[in-house]
Amino acid sequence: MSEVIVITSGKGGVGKTTTTANVGTGLAQLDKKVVLIDTDIGLRNLDVVMGLENRIVYNLVDVIEGNCRMKQALIKDKRYPNLFLLPSAQTRDKTAVTPEQMMKLTDELKEEFDYILLDCPAGIEQGFKNAIAGADRALIVTTPEVSAIRDADRIIGLLEANEMKQIHLIVNRLRMDMVSRGDMMSIEDVKEILAIDLIGAVPDDEQIVISTNQGEPLVGRTDTMAGMAYANICRRIMGEEVPFLDLNIKTGVFAKIASLFKKN
Amino acid sequence: MSQSVILKSNKYGINLILDKDIGFEELLSDIIAKFQEADSFFKNAKMALSFEGRELTDEEQYRIAEAISTHSSVTILCIVDNDKLREQALKEIVEAKEEDEAIQTGQFYKGTLRSGQLLECETSIVILGDVHPGAKIISRGNIVVLGALKGNAYAGASGNSTAFVAALDMDPVQIKIGDVIGRSADRAMWSASKKKKKTEPVAEPQVAVVKDGNIYIEPITRGLLNNL
Repeated sequence: MSEVIVITSGKGGVGKTTTTANVGTGLAQLDKKVVLIDTDIGLRNLDVVMGLENRIVYNLVDVIEGNCRMKQALIKDKRYPNLFLLPSAQTRDKTAVTPEQMMKLTDELKEEFDYILLDCPAGIEQGFKNAIAGADRALIVTTPEVSAIRDADRIIGLLEANEMKQIHLIVNRLRMDMVSRGDMMSIEDVKEILAIDLIGAVPDDEQIVISTNQGEPLVGRTDTMAGMAYANICRRIMGEEVPFLDLNIKTGVFAKIASLFKKN
Repeated sequence: MSQSVILKSNKYGINLILDKDIGFEELLSDIIAKFQEADSFFKNAKMALSFEGRELTDEEQYRIAEAISTHSSVTILCIVDNDKLREQALKEIVEAKEEDEAIQTGQFYKGTLRSGQLLECETSIVILGDVHPGAKIISRGNIVVLGALKGNAYAGASGNSTAFVAALDMDPVQIKIGDVIGRSADRAMWSASKKKKKTEPVAEPQVAVVKDGNIYIEPITRGLLNNL
């Protein structure tokens, strides 16, 4: 019972790659055999976020063109032995691959892995079509901004037209302080506009920037809200019912001092 | 030489553009003169003949064809009906019928239209769902949205400004009816205050119609429905 999941958003820079890295690592922590595929040919960076760039010998295009075997191109993660990365080619472009070839590739990987995660490029062109071709379900990443939401809406429409079975929403980079002031859309507002089921909300967290720069996904770290939020998303993907985090609870010294002042 | 006759070639032969005011006998002699003049150019040509600019009886058409055949080397194979007026009249009848049909008949569409999706319809349309910003509906008849209209709607797309657009929650980016375009007021795409307004009683159903060349959006009342 393996699943192919595409992580997509339409708009760039909302956190597709970060989400892929964290969800993939989180599923591996839950003892699933996972492979991450970077489908952003020409603009690869999932390998950087995973801290695996120095291990790349072969890539996705090499596998598809038959320059190497699948096993040779798969990079084993340095933390989890059941987590693998199939990196993208940096010197080619999106036209190097067709949707049919992607379907064949994911079908082959299904035999060995529990979860196949596809990191989709921004946009709705060839790269997007390649990424969604073999996917059984989709995770839509959006931030609470009108531009990201508009693009997400377009993407959902395209996925529905392609008969994607399951489509779930991840609201990324929430800032609860702004939401409570009425300066940012709440999770409920985003849900209402896009009218699809939510699978998780990830607060804006500077630890994400730090972890990305270090090439160490922070999923599962209980000292950060984002880490806990990603861990919960993973459990929900596996079908568990997990209550949503109360993002209003702030951790850290500054938040505690701030809350003291509020009481007075 | 008068310009009562103009010869114009078309796909099948010659089209005669005739003066509609001068007498027929005079016209006939003008036609003969024209063909005699051009006879060396036509040289035994076989062609179909059509007329334009003047209503001719069957007998008159026959006499013209006969005269051309006897006074020149041209052979007239047949006379082709080329009556622009009749064509126009037929076209108007067909279009009026289609327009009627577009307004009077309709279809249903079940589902939500998302950004980038376009729904085109030859008849009126009822949408069971929402129309998101960036989505567009085009209908030759009326548009009814049983949900929120937040995108673009174009009713009476063949130029019929008696069409209307109705929605349970009317919040469109743009509405076009016939040739009249109306757009929403400039405002923030999202703000907390806008949301608060929405949580007040459920939005009231409204209808957009054209009045004096402008689009008006009004609550649906019995009186308004009677006037549609």
